[in-house]
Amino acid sequence: MNYETIVIGAGLAGMMAALGRAERGERVMVLAKGHGSTHWAAGCLDLFAEADDPLGAINQLVQTRPAHPYALAGVAALEQALARVRGVAEAVGYPLVGNAGRNLLMPTALGALRPTAFVPATMVNGEARQLGDGRPTLIAGLHELRDFFPPLIAANLRAQGYAAEGVYLELPPVERAHDFSPVVVARLFERPAFRAALGRQLAALVRKGGYARIGLPAVLGLYNAVEVVRELQALSGALIFEIPTLPTSVPGMRLFHAFEQALTKAGARLQIGGWVLRGEGSNPHLHAVFSEAAAREQRHLARRWVLATGGVMGGGLRAEHTGVVNETALGLPVRTPSGRSDWFQARFLDEAGHPIFRAGIAVDAQLRPLDAADQIVYTNVAVVGSALADFDPIREGCLEGVALATGFAAGQL
Amino acid sequence: MRTIETDVLVIGGGATGTGCARDLAMRGIRTILVEKGDLTHGTTGRYHGLLHSGGRYVTKDPQSATECARENVVLRKIMPHCLEDTSGFFVTTPWDDPAYGDVFVKNCRLTGVPVQELSVQAMLRREPLLNPQISRVFEVMDGSADSFLATRSTALSAEEYGAQIWTYHHVVDLVREGDRVTGAVVEDLRNGERIGILCACVLNAAGAWAGKIAAMAGVTVTVLPGKGTMVAMNHRMVNTVVNRCKLPDDGDIIVPIHTVAVIGTTDVHVPDPDVYGIEPDEIQFMLAEGDKLIPGFSQYRALRAWAGVRPLYKDRDVANDRDIPRTFKLLDHAERDGVEGMLSIVGGKWTTYRLMAEESVDALAKRLGNTRPCRTAEEPLPLPPTEHQTTFRPPVRTTGPGASVAAEVEALQHAPLYWLGKHLSEVEHEQSFADLICECEMASRSRVLAAIDAGAKNLDDIRRDVRMGMGPCQGGWCIYRTTALLFERRGEDGLSHANSNDALLHFLQARWKGLVPVLWGDQLRQARLDELIYVGVLGADRLRPIAEQGGGLVTDNPAVATEYVKA
Repeated sequence: MNYETIVIGAGLAGMMAALGRAERGERVMVLAKGHGSTHWAAGCLDLFAEADDPLGAINQLVQTRPAHPYALAGVAALEQALARVRGVAEAVGYPLVGNAGRNLLMPTALGALRPTAFVPATMVNGEARQLGDGRPTLIAGLHELRDFFPPLIAANLRAQGYAAEGVYLELPPVERAHDFSPVVVARLFERPAFRAALGRQLAALVRKGGYARIGLPAVLGLYNAVEVVRELQALSGALIFEIPTLPTSVPGMRLFHAFEQALTKAGARLQIGGWVLRGEGSNPHLHAVFSEAAAREQRHLARRWVLATGGVMGGGLRAEHTGVVNETALGLPVRTPSGRSDWFQARFLDEAGHPIFRAGIAVDAQLRPLDAADQIVYTNVAVVGSALADFDPIREGCLEGVALATGFAAGQL
Repeated sequence: MRTIETDVLVIGGGATGTGCARDLAMRGIRTILVEKGDLTHGTTGRYHGLLHSGGRYVTKDPQSATECARENVVLRKIMPHCLEDTSGFFVTTPWDDPAYGDVFVKNCRLTGVPVQELSVQAMLRREPLLNPQISRVFEVMDGSADSFLATRSTALSAEEYGAQIWTYHHVVDLVREGDRVTGAVVEDLRNGERIGILCACVLNAAGAWAGKIAAMAGVTVTVLPGKGTMVAMNHRMVNTVVNRCKLPDDGDIIVPIHTVAVIGTTDVHVPDPDVYGIEPDEIQFMLAEGDKLIPGFSQYRALRAWAGVRPLYKDRDVANDRDIPRTFKLLDHAERDGVEGMLSIVGGKWTTYRLMAEESVDALAKRLGNTRPCRTAEEPLPLPPTEHQTTFRPPVRTTGPGASVAAEVEALQHAPLYWLGKHLSEVEHEQSFADLICECEMASRSRVLAAIDAGAKNLDDIRRDVRMGMGPCQGGWCIYRTTALLFERRGEDGLSHANSNDALLHFLQARWKGLVPVLWGDQLRQARLDELIYVGVLGADRLRPIAEQGGGLVTDNPAVATEYVKA
């Protein structure tokens, strides 16, 4: 089958680009080795962490750092992308709430407060300004879920001036032994009897402790979380909020699911398990890519391509011990900090971030890949998301923002 | 200042020091052991884990070879739970002198190191990934040893016999009255309290730090810290220890231990045992040497790199540090320097630690008028609480030079030897699949809690006990979980959220320093995922303002700073 656009990579950037192209009426396929970093991250939309007003900071940043992906995509693309992603989530009954002009401060599973711009409605009751209203908060978890520890969360919140207590709930009876991963517990929460039993325990705790809010791990149902939250609020008599856990990220899976629905509705095809090994082109055009398939390579043809394979974490970039960094799908030229000795800071949590993670593909204003001499490698390829050079999505706290803005831009070009 | 009196003060909580403490206590001698860090904080916890057959020393250091061969059998009998009977090969690769094989066998016979030649075909059947161009193979009784567990078990035995083991106690000064050492002043690193210890004799078992200790009594002991760098790879590409059949050199040995294979080592003289770094070319060199033994070795995933400092004792001019004898020496400072009340035990190998302790304690006992014999070679070591009794016994080796010893060890019916499937069998036995805190190393919640209850002073101590954080993900999940468990378990003992936060930040950094030398490929990808988890999901970096050392933990004390400084 001939596609007009093939998007390589199924993270937020790739799915946003694919949706844009499909909604313009193109035949689109998303071809991906696996899921993107949605399944690892907190399931919120980070635009720019180190500023109270992320949009204002981004408006300044596009002036001072013209090579930053935000500058290439443009602030307008970011704002339109945010509107579109909120529509995508709303369509599956999972609204994203927040404000690009003011970061929310959300409690983490360590009890730290982390800034982010948009959170699912299931989390918003935990925002720090609400937690600080003087009324007590209960943090509740299950012993069986090893990725959420209420006593430490509550103690750290108290240390920051928020009245909070931590408690473990009793696991309602389940018919067999499980490995209680976040995904398994999320499936249990889809059962009415399971959440009713926990709701009764919460109600008893609220009656005794007078809690205004209850923070629970972000495992309150895979795809009906808003409904689960509403029901637990009715049962317990307190406001409920979710706190993201360690990966696998259930809120991230919900975002992926919302995009999957939107892509299907727009007529796009999503193929997970198609690992792109190489491209075939004659400059300046990419003609085909080859993916790993049973006992052979499968050839895919398209007119236009979007590369959304991520950075080092997503697998789009791979560093060799020789100090070379390769782009793994198409073999595009990568901008890398000089030698391995310059790749890392001495401290893991150094605020400046590790230079190696700013490696990536340099692009022009239309997101087309450039070589070392700034010549366009392929005119029909757009590079989006964390594969791009000159920024650190985790340390700058702009992982989702850049993915959405550049993905949106590639969808409209 | 509080002052305590004892017969013997042992300085150093490595294999030798704990071995001495056990031997002293078993002979009824009152003993206090002080160690500035955790047990095995020094060289014992930073070696590749080889239980020597003696083969490596048969030519250059025959006395050490003979000692290793004897102690190898003794250790199998007293600490089977700490040893894996991997067996060992010495192989002649195309890069090695083909004539050395015959010299090697002859010298094995002379030194009493059991050896048996094997065909290359038989070698490849057992270890198919070894280089098929290997021309000769000799099998010896090498094994791999969990030096953390062995030292814990030894210390536990010492305590059962009445010794006091004080970890995180730093020797500030030795007290000398005239020509006699009469005790020491130590500092409790948890709270800064200074304690005086009066004793009849000080036994300096500080390994690479023995020179620094001796200097406090005004005595010169020249210990040359020889840095050895090692790399752990994420696969056991061999289940047998593999040595190059040549004189010991850099990067010539691969030790399969627990879930990993370790390649070692380099040997670089460093001026100070506390100040050394790992250079990128050391890593590249060892990976290239690994390729000679196992083609493609350098393409496997490297997990982490670390370095230890050999406590080489230099009592005459030796040109090359590799030529310094690996055997040990007991220094009686009364005879040697005219200073009474102190002995130093220097040099030696992990494999010979018990023998070193026996000789040291024989000398001490004589001086104290104690005539009870040494029994450390007969009595097996107890299992620490982090170890679970298992009913399954792995099959006993029936071939090769170790077969008769294996049968003899099995007949004792002590705890079974360690085997790779041990932790999995425990998890299956306890049905604790769903309660693993560290999935990579299969450390269950109950074992992590046991390590916390055993008195861990930071997360690194827990790692040494249950290997938490040592697998491919380098703590991505388990550092968070273990921190929270530590807080829940010790909260009532005065350990606060701030102390827990500090423990987490400290351990994240401790893991990072071992990762940096090997960060490329999948391990770099993993490090980035860990950054997403700790920064992008948990916001651990935002806890710094509410992180503080204390609550009985020791994290940032300069006396035990393990930060590698670029030399």
